[in-house]
Amino acid sequence: MEAASVAHAVAHEDHHGPPPAHRSSRVEPQLLGMLLFIISEVMVFGAFFTAYFFIRVAQGDPWPAPGTHLPVIPTLFNTMILVSSSITMHWALRGVQTGNYRALKAGILTTFLMGAAFLFIQINEYANIGFAPQDHAQATIFYSLTGLHGCHVFIGLCLLLFVTIRAFRGHYSPENHRGVEIPGIYWHFVDIMWIIVYTTVYVI
Amino acid sequence: MRTTLAKLRAPGLYRAGLGFAIGIAFATAITWVVRSSTGHATFHHYLSGDAILTVSLIASPIFFLVGLGGFDYWLYWAAGRPTRPEDHSSHGAHSWKDYFRINTDHKVIGIQYTVTAFFFLLVGGLLAMLMRAQLAQPGAQFVDANTYNGLFSVHASLLIFLFVIPVFAGLANYVLPLMIGAPDMAFPRLNALSYWLLPLAGLMMLSSFLAPGGAFADGWTAYTPLSIDAPIGQDFFSIGVQLAGASSIMTALNFLVTIITMRAPGMSFFRMPLLVWANFATSLLVVIATPFIAASQFFVLLDHALGFNFFNAGKGGDVLMYQHVFWFYSHPAVYIMMLPGFGIISEVIAVKARKPIFGYRMMAFSLLAIVALGFTVWAHHMFTSGMASWIRIPMAITTAIIAVPTGIKIFSWLATLWRGILHLDTPMLFALGFLTTFTLGGISGVMLAMVPFDIHVSASYFIVAHIHYVLFGGSLMTIFAGVYYWFPKMTGRTFDERLGKWHFWTTFVFFNLTFAPMHILGLEGMPRRVATYASKFADLNLFISIASFALGLSTLIFVYNIVTSWRGGPRAAANPWRGLTLEWQVSSPPPIFNFDRVPTVVGGPYEYGVPGAVHGIFAPAPVPATVGGGAPVTTGGGVHAPSE
Repeated sequence: MEAASVAHAVAHEDHHGPPPAHRSSRVEPQLLGMLLFIISEVMVFGAFFTAYFFIRVAQGDPWPAPGTHLPVIPTLFNTMILVSSSITMHWALRGVQTGNYRALKAGILTTFLMGAAFLFIQINEYANIGFAPQDHAQATIFYSLTGLHGCHVFIGLCLLLFVTIRAFRGHYSPENHRGVEIPGIYWHFVDIMWIIVYTTVYVI
Repeated sequence: MRTTLAKLRAPGLYRAGLGFAIGIAFATAITWVVRSSTGHATFHHYLSGDAILTVSLIASPIFFLVGLGGFDYWLYWAAGRPTRPEDHSSHGAHSWKDYFRINTDHKVIGIQYTVTAFFFLLVGGLLAMLMRAQLAQPGAQFVDANTYNGLFSVHASLLIFLFVIPVFAGLANYVLPLMIGAPDMAFPRLNALSYWLLPLAGLMMLSSFLAPGGAFADGWTAYTPLSIDAPIGQDFFSIGVQLAGASSIMTALNFLVTIITMRAPGMSFFRMPLLVWANFATSLLVVIATPFIAASQFFVLLDHALGFNFFNAGKGGDVLMYQHVFWFYSHPAVYIMMLPGFGIISEVIAVKARKPIFGYRMMAFSLLAIVALGFTVWAHHMFTSGMASWIRIPMAITTAIIAVPTGIKIFSWLATLWRGILHLDTPMLFALGFLTTFTLGGISGVMLAMVPFDIHVSASYFIVAHIHYVLFGGSLMTIFAGVYYWFPKMTGRTFDERLGKWHFWTTFVFFNLTFAPMHILGLEGMPRRVATYASKFADLNLFISIASFALGLSTLIFVYNIVTSWRGGPRAAANPWRGLTLEWQVSSPPPIFNFDRVPTVVGGPYEYGVPGAVHGIFAPAPVPATVGGGAPVTTGGGVHAPSE
């Protein structure tokens, strides 16, 4: 992740600092940190799904609320955009791993634009859906779950933006591609989470 | 003028103050924009002052941290600019001012954590003294009922979220990397950020007393629907918990990655000291459970500030859902507040009894068993809540079962003490005091697992007695044991043993005099969380109040001892307790980068009294030309078990 700093550190091998820590695991610390963070994120979603469960299942409120309609088909189109962006993300990662920098740049830029399109369509849906979270508990759950996911898309987009800037500045190489891989894992998590949210909130 | 500008531009408290002001301005601007663009249609019944305050509570801590420099490195990275490689110039603290800066040294952060937590212990203790003054006699004494409700709510919140949980993280921050032979934590910048969230969370909760309508006054549990209709002070709790929780998760993640990836060569999982095991287990709990309290407070905040309907039964919300989500975190949280203490006690008892810990592997497995079982018992807090009554049976059974791994630990400690050569100094006294009071608290816990008994004493002083036996008699005793045990390592000074013993005996005696009578009050039906009581409880309450003031005073012995010893106590030896674990094999305080050479672990950590037993060795130096290299660590040879 620290492409620019690596060369600098190598040039100053004699500078006084801590001895390099012993690596007691084959897993990269950054990768492990991201996986643990994702576990934590899954639990946040778990708590929101608990609220969904209590209101829709345990309490048995009708879903969607009487007189409201969820745009299942337009959102399916939006879902396809987000899922495809996982494929382009992988394309970018393969690009940097094999030294194909054009694939990296094209892949990461496409992923970013698709993610932004998803978020734009989602906000547009909020504006036109015809109910507000203050109206009833079902609306509260709908906005909370999709909104929580929207926040994650936003965070993912920020990470992708940073990666895009660095990719276009040539900071990544086949030996040094963690900075693409680890935000990519987060992006895949965001996509998988959306499939679960879409299925539970819109489809079932 | 120029220097003022320079100060405002350089990372530090000045820029942080500026950031804080910008945060408030930002909050004002964004609420104005949102409210005017929506034409107040949704928000018309909320005062705009409240809106600005709520958004400020979220925005100003973030801007404060940006100003302090917590995000500097990441902002450079995000902007695609060259990141400045860590030159380690910020490692170590050279004056007290260095503790008020972003510092990436785990030893500095450990002390920042511990001192901050003790500050909040004293504040929370003072709030308890005010409560006992109010309860000395029936009827109103000093404060009105609403202020009293605020007192116990802030007391509990501060001591749980700003003392017990972070002080364990602080002690572990200091000693855990040393114990596993690592130069620092895995993510030092994240470590610094997770510390600096804490004082903000604490000050936020404390300043809720200044909010219009008073402090949050519905307990640290903030049950709905009470918290939904509470004054704005509730938001100070909801958002303060987010900050403390985020800090907790970051630290736990950091510990897990550090333990998994940075152990010294030869240190397999079953050669780790039990403190490391305990923090491994705790961190798993934090990473998995803490998001639930974050979510529960998001729900409350959204209902409270924006009129969402999570808990509004009139619009289809589910009030009881709050308790399920809250306790799904907050029951594991009692283990988050206890497991690191178990680790401290294992260290202290093995060293002070000069014996290998009894049943090392069972000690480690029982920690993991507690982690797993801890997620299956949450609804035992809800026996009287009105949930489906059949859920009480499985919850009662799992609650009784979770006492088993805890019992394994208690018996293992007793077996470790058996025929040991006991050194009854201050850390050991606190460890033995912990065994006594925590077992009592554990037994009243098993009593509470029994549904009929729980229904009888629910929301009475029996609960207050139980929670203080496990959190004060349990956690706080282990914290005192740990602070005394590692004080020579952390400060390089020796504390006054005589004052330490005075501190223990006054604490132990007055603790029991304060909290044991509460069991009786609870059985007789005195309700908790009420500012007054029936006159038949007057005698015992006066007795408890007097004992509690003495208990409060006993803490002053501790503060005096620590402050004077830190300033001018005798220099401490590198290994005053003759411990085997790696933190004792370096100087006191440790060198700035812990180890000049990463040690190699060749045996278990607790082989006390075993002739020739070695835990870690420092590999022989590569035959230097001159001998006077001055390596601060023990070089060559092994660290042999001191035989008795």
